Amino acid sequence: MADIMNQLEQKPSAMRRLVNLAIEYNFIVIFLFVVTIASLLSENFLTPTNISNLFQQAAVVGVVAIGMTFVILTGNIDLSVGSVVALCGMIAAIMLASGMPIVLAIGITICAGAACGAFMGAISAYAQVPSFIVTLAGLVSFRGLTYLSTEGVPVSGLPSAFAAFSSTMVPIFPGFQLSSMGLIFTVLCVLAGLLLSKTVFGENIYATGGNPEAARLSGIPTRRIIVSVFAVSGIMSALGGLLLTSRLRIGQPTAAQGLELDAIAAVVLGGTSLFGGRGSILGTAFAVMLLQVLRNIFNLLGLGSFYQMTVTGIIIIAAILLNRFIDIRRGRG
Amino acid sequence: MTLASQVKDRLEQEPNILSISNISKHFPPNIIALADAGLDVRKGEVHCLLGANGAGKSTFLKLVAGAMMPTSGEIRVDGKAVKFRSPAEATAVGISMIYQELDLVPQLTVAQNLFLGHPPNNRGILDTKTRRIEAEKALKRVGARFGPDAKVESLSIANQQLTAIARSLTREAKVIIMDEPSAALNENELEAVFQVIRELTAQGVAIVYVSHRLGELREIGDRVTVLRGGRTIETFDVEGTPDSALIEAIMGKDRQLIERKERQPVTGDVVLDVKRLQGAQGLDIRDFLLRRGEIIGLTGLNGSGRTSFLMSLFGARSHEADMTLDGVPYAPKNPRAAIRNGFGLVPEDRKTEGLILQSPIYKNATLPSMQGQFWGRHSYQKKRTIPVLDQLATKYGRPEQNVVQLSGGNQQKVVLAKWIIKGSQLLLLDEPSRGLDISAKADLYKLVDGLARDGAAVIVASSELEELYAACDSIWVFHEGRNIARYNPSETDQDTILKCQILGEHSGVNTDG
Repeated sequence: MADIMNQLEQKPSAMRRLVNLAIEYNFIVIFLFVVTIASLLSENFLTPTNISNLFQQAAVVGVVAIGMTFVILTGNIDLSVGSVVALCGMIAAIMLASGMPIVLAIGITICAGAACGAFMGAISAYAQVPSFIVTLAGLVSFRGLTYLSTEGVPVSGLPSAFAAFSSTMVPIFPGFQLSSMGLIFTVLCVLAGLLLSKTVFGENIYATGGNPEAARLSGIPTRRIIVSVFAVSGIMSALGGLLLTSRLRIGQPTAAQGLELDAIAAVVLGGTSLFGGRGSILGTAFAVMLLQVLRNIFNLLGLGSFYQMTVTGIIIIAAILLNRFIDIRRGRG
Repeated sequence: MTLASQVKDRLEQEPNILSISNISKHFPPNIIALADAGLDVRKGEVHCLLGANGAGKSTFLKLVAGAMMPTSGEIRVDGKAVKFRSPAEATAVGISMIYQELDLVPQLTVAQNLFLGHPPNNRGILDTKTRRIEAEKALKRVGARFGPDAKVESLSIANQQLTAIARSLTREAKVIIMDEPSAALNENELEAVFQVIRELTAQGVAIVYVSHRLGELREIGDRVTVLRGGRTIETFDVEGTPDSALIEAIMGKDRQLIERKERQPVTGDVVLDVKRLQGAQGLDIRDFLLRRGEIIGLTGLNGSGRTSFLMSLFGARSHEADMTLDGVPYAPKNPRAAIRNGFGLVPEDRKTEGLILQSPIYKNATLPSMQGQFWGRHSYQKKRTIPVLDQLATKYGRPEQNVVQLSGGNQQKVVLAKWIIKGSQLLLLDEPSRGLDISAKADLYKLVDGLARDGAAVIVASSELEELYAACDSIWVFHEGRNIARYNPSETDQDTILKCQILGEHSGVNTDG
C-alpha cells in the first residue's frame, strides 16, 4: 500500500503522464486510430457531409446509450430499451396521425417512456428483483404492447412538420451543418455529462453503483436513485423512438429490435464497468461514434453486414480485455 | 484418580500430530500480523486457542490451513515438515479448517457438499451411489439426524456445522480446526456439536477449538494456548488453571494503557433515551441513556449485539423500539432519517460499509453533506474536506485521490470526516480504532473527546476495552444481545469489566446503573 502511495506521490514525467492519460482515455486513442484508417481508406470519409451523416446515423443508438450509461453506472442493466423505443415511437405516431399537436405528442411520449422505466426500476429496487429479469420481461411485454396497439400494422400519415424534428439541418460553423438529430444527440451527451459530473444526483449514482451499502449508510436514497436512472433510460428511449419515427416518417412496430445490445456494447466499449460505479458519458459517446465509423468503413469497403457483426464483436472483446488489463495493472482487479 | 486426570495422562503419552513452531507472517513494508507463534496438538485432544481481537488468531489459523504462507517458522504434521501453498495441500495431509462463515454451498445437497472438490468418480463420470453411501457414513459419525439428500440451505446452522465437520471427515482429517463454532449456535445445538467433538477425539482426531468463551473451554478443552500481540504467550492445561490466569494471559500484565484522564461529570441534558430496543438475534436493550457531552463505550464479545444496536439506532436495521430523542419519540425508518436527526455512523467495516473505495477522498467525505443539494460544488467540497482531514492528521496526497489508495487508518479518518463535515451531534462509532496505530488511536480519541466537549454525544463500540477505559464516561457491557451492566471506569478496574464481558455475569458491586 505504501509503495503505491509513494509511486503516486512522485511527480510523474510529462511522457509518463501522457501515457497514463492515453491509457485512461484509451477509447479516444482507439477512436482516433479507427478514424485515421477510415480516412486513409477513403477520401470521402472526412468530408462534412459524411461526418454529418455519421452523427445522424449514430443518434438513435447514441441517445439510448446515454440512458443505458446511467443504469449501468448503478450496477444495473436495462434490456427493455429497444422495445421502449418501438413502443414510444408507435405512441407518438398514433397521436400524431390522429392530429394531436406535435409538442404535446412529444411531451406525452417522453412521459410514457419515463413511466415505463420508472415502473421497472421501482420493481427492481423495492422488490429487490435483479434488473436483468425485470427488464427482460419489459423487453417482451413492451414489444407485445407495441404490436397490440395497431395489430402489428405500421402507422403512416404523420404530419410532414414532424420530420423536421430529426432532419432540420443546423449550421454549426461555415461549411458544416448537423442534422437536428445529430445535434440532439450531441447536446444530450453534454447535458448528461454535466448531470453526472456536476450534480449531487450524479455523484449519488456513482456512489450507489460503487458501494450500495456505504451509500445507504451515508444517507443516500439508493432505491430512489435506481428508480431515477431507469426513468432516465426510459426518457432516452422515448427520445430515441421519437427520432426514429420522425426519420422513418412512419410508426414501425418492428423498429429497434436488438437495439439494447448495441447500446450495452457502446457503454461497455466506452469503459463503463458493468459492476457499476465507474465510467463516463464521454466514453459512451466516443464508443457510439466508434461503432458507427466501423460500419461506415465496412460500407466504404463494400463489405456486408455479416463482416460488420463479426468484427464488431471482436472489437468489443478486445476493448474489454484492454480494460481488464488496465484494472489489473492498477491493482483494482 | 479422576476420570479427567486419566484422560489427561493418556493424552500426555500421545504424540504430537501437529506441531507449529515460531511461525510469523509479515506484510511488507511494515505490518507484522503474527510475530512468533507456536502450538503443539496431540492426537485426540481438544486444544483451545484464546486471544483478544488483534492477537493474531485469524492469521495463525490461515497459516495452518494453508490459506497463507508463513514468512518464517515451521509446521510439522506427524513429525514431517510441510509447506502449504494452498488450502488443498493442507487438507491433503489431514488438516481441515471449519470457518466461522461455513464455506458450504447452500443450494447443493449435503452429499454434494461433503465431497465438494473431490467427488467419487469414474473417469469424470460422477459415482453418485458411492457418494451417497460415503456421505451417509460420514453423517453417521457426526450423529446427524438428516440425510445426504437434504439441501444445505434447509438445515439449521447447527446442522450445517455438523455438515462441515462431516466434510472434514470425508477428507480423512487428522486435525480439525474450528473457528468460533459457537458464535451462531444456541446451548442445545452447541451441546450436540460438543458431543460430536468428544466422539471424534475418542477416535483419535484432534480438534483445535477457537473461542472467546471461557465457559466452553472449560467444558470441552484439554489444553489451551493463549495468543497475544502476535505471539504465543503460554499453553495451559485447562484443568487446574483459574480464569484469572487465563484473563491475565489474554490481556497481559504490562498493558500499554492510553492514559485515562479524569473526566468532568457529564451534566448535559439527556439526548437519547432508549427505554426498549428489540431486534433480530435476541437483541434486547433496555434503559439506555445518553447525555449531551457524554461518551459511552460499548464492550462485549463478538455477536453480543453492539453492532446491531448501533445499526438500529442509525435506522439501518429493522427493530422495534420505544425511545426518545430530545424528548420526542424517535423511530428511524432508514439511515437518511437518522442523519436528519443528527446521527452519524462510523460502521464496523469501512471498506464494505463506510467508503466508496473507487471514488475520490473529497467526494466520500462530503457524501452525506451534499444530500438535498442539486449542484455538486467540487471546489467547495474540497474546501470543506481539507481542514477536517488536517484536523484528523490524515496522510493523503491530493483530495482527488481515490480512497482505496489510502492506508487503513487514513481511510477510517475519511469516514469520520464525513460526519464531522456534516456536523452530526450524535456519533455512533463501531470499532473506530480498528487498523489504527497507537498514536492514531490516541488522536482519534482526543478528537472524540473534543467533539464531546463541544456538546456531541458519542457511543463507541470497541472490542479493545483499554481504549474505552481511557476515553469513556461510562461503559456498558453487552452480552448475547442484552446490556447487562454499566460501569464507571473511574471506579471500576478493567478486570472486573473484562470478567463480566467474558462470563456474562456481573458481581453487582461496582455497577451504578
